[in-house]
Amino acid sequence: MATRFPALARLKKGRETWKQIKWTWLPESNREAGDSVVRNFLLHWFPAKVTRQSLSWNYSFWLGTISAVLFFILIVTGIPLMFLYVPSVERAYLSVKDLEFKVSFGWFLRGLHRVSAHLMVAAVFLHMVRVFLAGAYKNGTAANQNRQLNWIIGVALLLFTLLLSFTGYLLPCDQLAYWAITVGTNIASSAPLVGEKMRFFLLGGHTIDQNTLIRFYVLHCFFLPMGVLLLFSYHMWRVRKDGGLACVDQLSLEQKKEGAQPIKSKTYSLLGITSGRTVHVETSIIDEDKHTVASSPNLTRRLLVATLATLAVAALLTILFHAPLEEAANPSVTPNPAKAPWYFLWLQELVTDTTFTIAGITINGAFIGGILLPGVLVLAAIVWPYLDKSSVRAVGVWMATERRKQNIVFLIVVAAILILTIVGTYLRGPYWNFYWPWQSWPTIPRHF
Amino acid sequence: MWRKKSAPDQAPGTLHQRETPDKASIDLTKRKWISRVGLGAILVGIGGQAYALIRALVPNVLYEDPQRFKVGTLDQFGEGAKFIEDKRVFIFRQKNTLHCISATCTHLGCTVKMERLNQAKRVTVRGREIDEQVEFACPCHGSKYYGDGTNYSGPAPRPLAHYKLELAPEDGQLIVDTSQTVSQDFRLTV
Repeated sequence: MATRFPALARLKKGRETWKQIKWTWLPESNREAGDSVVRNFLLHWFPAKVTRQSLSWNYSFWLGTISAVLFFILIVTGIPLMFLYVPSVERAYLSVKDLEFKVSFGWFLRGLHRVSAHLMVAAVFLHMVRVFLAGAYKNGTAANQNRQLNWIIGVALLLFTLLLSFTGYLLPCDQLAYWAITVGTNIASSAPLVGEKMRFFLLGGHTIDQNTLIRFYVLHCFFLPMGVLLLFSYHMWRVRKDGGLACVDQLSLEQKKEGAQPIKSKTYSLLGITSGRTVHVETSIIDEDKHTVASSPNLTRRLLVATLATLAVAALLTILFHAPLEEAANPSVTPNPAKAPWYFLWLQELVTDTTFTIAGITINGAFIGGILLPGVLVLAAIVWPYLDKSSVRAVGVWMATERRKQNIVFLIVVAAILILTIVGTYLRGPYWNFYWPWQSWPTIPRHF
Repeated sequence: MWRKKSAPDQAPGTLHQRETPDKASIDLTKRKWISRVGLGAILVGIGGQAYALIRALVPNVLYEDPQRFKVGTLDQFGEGAKFIEDKRVFIFRQKNTLHCISATCTHLGCTVKMERLNQAKRVTVRGREIDEQVEFACPCHGSKYYGDGTNYSGPAPRPLAHYKLELAPEDGQLIVDTSQTVSQDFRLTV
């Protein structure tokens, strides 16, 4: 057949290839549904079947997915921006200005990139809050789970997200950029012993100049995104290894309690090469068919809905709120007040309020509020899963009674961060003085 | 490595009998040694080159403005304070004395703003009463300094730096040396 009609054979081959890239939206059988996951490259990281619980909108709010979608929007918008932006101190500001006013749709590219970055900080943070409140960093009863490690990867991803935002807003070389980097790198320099060296290394000198700009540019466009991609891959791989979302563990516990007859687990050995079984194909749920649906189209459909919604919201916000561009960077005039972006304002509040004098020695708030307190917070986040001794009944359960106390402690910290952010955003005026929203700011001459 | 396990277990007369335990252990030591040398070479190779890569990012030459610079002839400085914008320093003149205060906030490095007071304010600084004409305030985190640079409010941990002043012998211009901080009492008499 193939020899008699080579064109037909080629067509068939092409179709096969195409099948491996696309998948059936509406599979007509379980077989077709399973095939689309097993044969398709884009879907290979999904399980063939997922529980209904883990698909539910209001267990996870899909915040992790939304974060990932935002990250991919940032990559896609970031690449054309790299072609249009010039990382030199003479031309950086002008090239951003050109983007804003001369390049076709330049304002939209830059705006979408900026809005997505803001949203990503929010989404990643909320994702962390969700995982904590639902006790989803806890292991259930399945073998080889290591959700604590995945939580730590998540904390690292949050820090990477913040670093990406930080390095990103130096790039326009406007006033916001210059003073944010001044403050940020001085916080680094307040670290004992290595501080000054660290600042020198970060800036590539003693002052913010060309060396600094190119350093932050390379960090922003290459190192940090690569770091996020690697961590993200590992994050997703762990989710699969840990048996999916934590709420699934509760389901299998309930079934065991009900005394449902266990069914034979589906396990695959790695062709006899190792004795271990790949964990993720082992069914942890006893009555699988009752609780699971095929990933294709159920998971893929929701994934696309989440993607579409995220993209729509980001695009809408871009059109509604124009990305600001302040005056060109001026080392001699600090804007008054000089404010960091909203997600760093709680830190700006902290460094303002934490200079202490103990026994005649004054400790700079830059160290206490800028390094010590955030460091303690990150450390606490890292060790928390190992200190949490609640039972498996609290795995993947929102606001579990057993974990009430720690949830309250966590919420207090979150509330404190939010309150400091709100104070910094709305209640601080010139010279970082406190003003109620109804009080007007005094007019202060710009120059001396 | 598999030999390690099998060697002691082998009863004499089996397939591996030619290898006495002694020879096996010598082989093992050799192997271990060679693999350690190899591993060490890899680590040293990677470590050394990593050092070179990172060291290359620490600049040896800086194209920054000099820390010692001229700010103008004496007749350009009238009584009171003058801000040298691009150098971020204030020059103060009181009759025939001059001194220089840095405009860089000691908290996190923002440029402080000078506020001229409508009427002289009597404050006690460092055990002395002075009538000050100006004060400094930082826009970033609200630190406040008296006219002599002493911090009195906000997160600033120490007074603003005072820099050494001198006169250039060749053209009589005032020279600021920001690499040399001096005491708050330093005055250049002209």
